Amino acid sequence: MTSLPTADTAMSHDHDHAHGHDAPLPEVVLRVKALEELLTEKGLVDSAALDAIVDTYEKKIGPRNGAQVVARAWTDPAYKARLLADGSKAIAELGYSGVQGEDMVVVENTASVHNMVVCTLCSCYPWPTLGLPPVWYKSAPYRSRAVIDPRGVLKEFGVDVPADKEVRVWDSNAELRYFVLPERPAGSEGLSEAELIELVTRDSMIGTGLPKPVGAAA
Amino acid sequence: MPALPLEMVAPLLATGASTRMPNTEPARFKPGDAVIARNIHPVNHTRLPRYVRGKRGTVRADNGTFSFNDTVAHGLGHQPQHVYSVRFSAQELWGPDASPLDSVYIDLFDRYLDPAP
Amino acid sequence: MNGVHDMGGLQGFGPIDREAQEPVFHTDWEKRVFALFFGGFAGGFYNIDMFRAEIERMPGHEYLRSSYYEHWLHAIEALLIQGGAVTHAELQARIAELQAAGRKEPH
Repeated sequence: MTSLPTADTAMSHDHDHAHGHDAPLPEVVLRVKALEELLTEKGLVDSAALDAIVDTYEKKIGPRNGAQVVARAWTDPAYKARLLADGSKAIAELGYSGVQGEDMVVVENTASVHNMVVCTLCSCYPWPTLGLPPVWYKSAPYRSRAVIDPRGVLKEFGVDVPADKEVRVWDSNAELRYFVLPERPAGSEGLSEAELIELVTRDSMIGTGLPKPVGAAA
Repeated sequence: MPALPLEMVAPLLATGASTRMPNTEPARFKPGDAVIARNIHPVNHTRLPRYVRGKRGTVRADNGTFSFNDTVAHGLGHQPQHVYSVRFSAQELWGPDASPLDSVYIDLFDRYLDPAP
Repeated sequence: MNGVHDMGGLQGFGPIDREAQEPVFHTDWEKRVFALFFGGFAGGFYNIDMFRAEIERMPGHEYLRSSYYEHWLHAIEALLIQGGAVTHAELQARIAELQAAGRKEPH
């Protein structure tokens, strides 16, 4: 097998066509193209199906799903109780389910506990509620430090957790997927569910952020 | 004929592939039990990270029965067993200089654990 | 296995780099790799545990210096070859053809 390219291609911006300066296509592009072509020719994969998969995660599934779950939990105590008792079932009530979210556990931030989620071994993340994980979540600095220095990580994210609050780090090493229910922002009592959704950030549902305060620009 | 035609994409993605299995296996532990993660170093695939091996924790929940990733990875069968949410204090994992308040919760298979003395 | 992927508690990796307004995928090839995972999975060539195990078998230094979706590509290639979907020779031949075609393309 040819060796992998040395550039971190997650950070580069290579394209699938050579530019006017005759640059050869990056090796990784060729490997992927070759693989897809051969599998398609052999009838093992269908390009339209592959396109649909990309489209689903690029455009249809994302943190807005999770924000809806959070806003519903904030406004409906019975829903919140169901959510904390059986995460997958309650999340499915809103129409979100499936790959990498089959067995959900929702953990609640409170006045005494701040929760944070990581996958130290790889990149496990609750796709149906949050979409695909960001690069930082899957990278060595976060995966290594989240369990040993969560307060340092939170500080880097701009989250100040008081010394008397417990920080709980959930390592998603098995097939359960963790989702943080952030604390409802102060002064948000009068807001509608739609308005509350706008306050829920992706990072607040991972536990590396807090919801936007009331009155913050969208 | 591709195994994943276009019309199967949406149903597949919405259903997923849970590894949960019926609760036919006895649970060796229950919430509140003190446990020690085994000091094992399998050369094969495992979901027991090094940082908890040999450490003492408390079972916080029994998540139910799941197929065992370690064996499924090598075609050695599902070997269903209970998966417990186990709490390890930061000080247990990282020493006396760590926060006295903080903790790591991790999901450990029945086979990863021994009762703590 | 005690591989470098088992990162909990390791030190020295530096700050957590975050990209503002990060796109879901950074390149077209990442999109195709992501989708191909499902193709292979549905075809029965691997399950998620075999896939993770294959990534863990990457030489440690390669794992650390390559990107996330390069890990995926490594595992998908290896498992599809193992499962007989494609051969290493076929892939190399096609890569060479694509490389040559790329060079000949007028600009």
